[in-house]
Amino acid sequence: MNEKDIRQMKGILEALGNKGQRGAVLIDVPSTQFVRVNLMLLRGLSQELGMSGIFISVDRPHQYMVHLLTMHQIRTERLRFIDAISHFSADCKVASANVGFVDGPFHIDRLPMAMGEWGKGNNGNSFTLDDCDFAIIDNLSALLTYNSNKSVEAFLRNFVGVLNSSGKIMVPLMIDSEKSGPLYETVRGLCKCEVRLKDPHTPSDSSMDNVGRSFEFDMVR
Amino acid sequence: MVEKSLNEKPKRPGLVRLPTGIPGLDDMIEGGLPFPSVVLVAGTAGTGKTTLSLKYLCEGAKRGEQGLYFTTLSEPTQWMLRYASQFDFINKDYFGDSIVYMDLGNLMREVDANKLLNIMEEKIAEVVPQRIVIDPITVVGGMLKGDYRLFLFDLFNRLKNWNATTLVTGEVHPGEIYPPEVSYAVDGIILLQYSEEAGARRKYLEVLKMRGTNHMTGRQSIDITRSDGIVVLKARF
Repeated sequence: MNEKDIRQMKGILEALGNKGQRGAVLIDVPSTQFVRVNLMLLRGLSQELGMSGIFISVDRPHQYMVHLLTMHQIRTERLRFIDAISHFSADCKVASANVGFVDGPFHIDRLPMAMGEWGKGNNGNSFTLDDCDFAIIDNLSALLTYNSNKSVEAFLRNFVGVLNSSGKIMVPLMIDSEKSGPLYETVRGLCKCEVRLKDPHTPSDSSMDNVGRSFEFDMVR
Repeated sequence: MVEKSLNEKPKRPGLVRLPTGIPGLDDMIEGGLPFPSVVLVAGTAGTGKTTLSLKYLCEGAKRGEQGLYFTTLSEPTQWMLRYASQFDFINKDYFGDSIVYMDLGNLMREVDANKLLNIMEEKIAEVVPQRIVIDPITVVGGMLKGDYRLFLFDLFNRLKNWNATTLVTGEVHPGEIYPPEVSYAVDGIILLQYSEEAGARRKYLEVLKMRGTNHMTGRQSIDITRSDGIVVLKARF
């Protein structure tokens, strides 16, 4: 991560109220920046603030995020990866991390149930929801590739409900309002606050030739 | 606040697209290249493959997106820039910051396919680009130790999982349309061609394949200008 990324990471942590934020938070980000913002979030929440969390991979095998974190010297011991796509992928990339697998992105509705089971601590796994301070899904829009709108909406309500019941888990829900309008509106209804990462310049802006343009985070509600 | 339901609008979101910035081309492909994807730009020498690739990266830099340019030709940055800087769209300040340049030429002679893949992934993980160019990919086949087709399959699969849209350029011999060993694994193919007509060589661009895209078919006349690089002439009308 370069200086610009670190500055933006601090910006997003500040917008999230550092450790203070609990429950679902909408983060409105251009789709092309999802990976970069996930990296910032994981570094900020896990490494800078010492929080433990769950990272749920829906769009690409978890190994890629593990590789990215390792490359950027971000420790993964506080993270639990849940991979809903690897069994569905022909990818043979390897990575070392604390990971659990669920059936696949077509069965995302089972995820909250699986997490609830972990919460009861009866899965023989040392990780329970009591240990969890945040949960991130990479990414919500990808769910619509594999599931109907109705089941994604049901999943989101269930997912946020399960995590909110703990009263202590931050759930950043990243979405691109410009590309995924209806999903954005659904997520917006589930979140008590919204952070926006938007390019301050529009494509028609005459200052487009500026180098090192930065994206800013704003708490919009 | 009024909570809307997804059921109200059952339409799925369209693919995310990255505009190439090439006048006329984006209109042919629903606004830009699918993100993520791997697209082959094939053509004989001098048809504008590198120009198209550089414009694509500069357009991304202009939009705040990170670019990564792998060259397989062992050409130092300054040589590439010396020629490229003749185009008005090239902002030299992008290079090294918004567009990172990496030479794979020497590495390809020394390492096997797996090692080369790992080295490229290390760079991608370091830079976290949204736009990648590999120019030209076809050189790799002749120099790589190991199975080239398997390397391409693994490389293209991983490039998409890194969440980037990659342009790979492919040099073809006169009479050959595109390199078949590359074309089978890519999501899109853009052909750049010469054609001799009435004693003059004319240049054309054709989108042969673009997955998930209702693209315009047929050859379109192009020009290469100092101000914009490649311009699809039909867009002028």
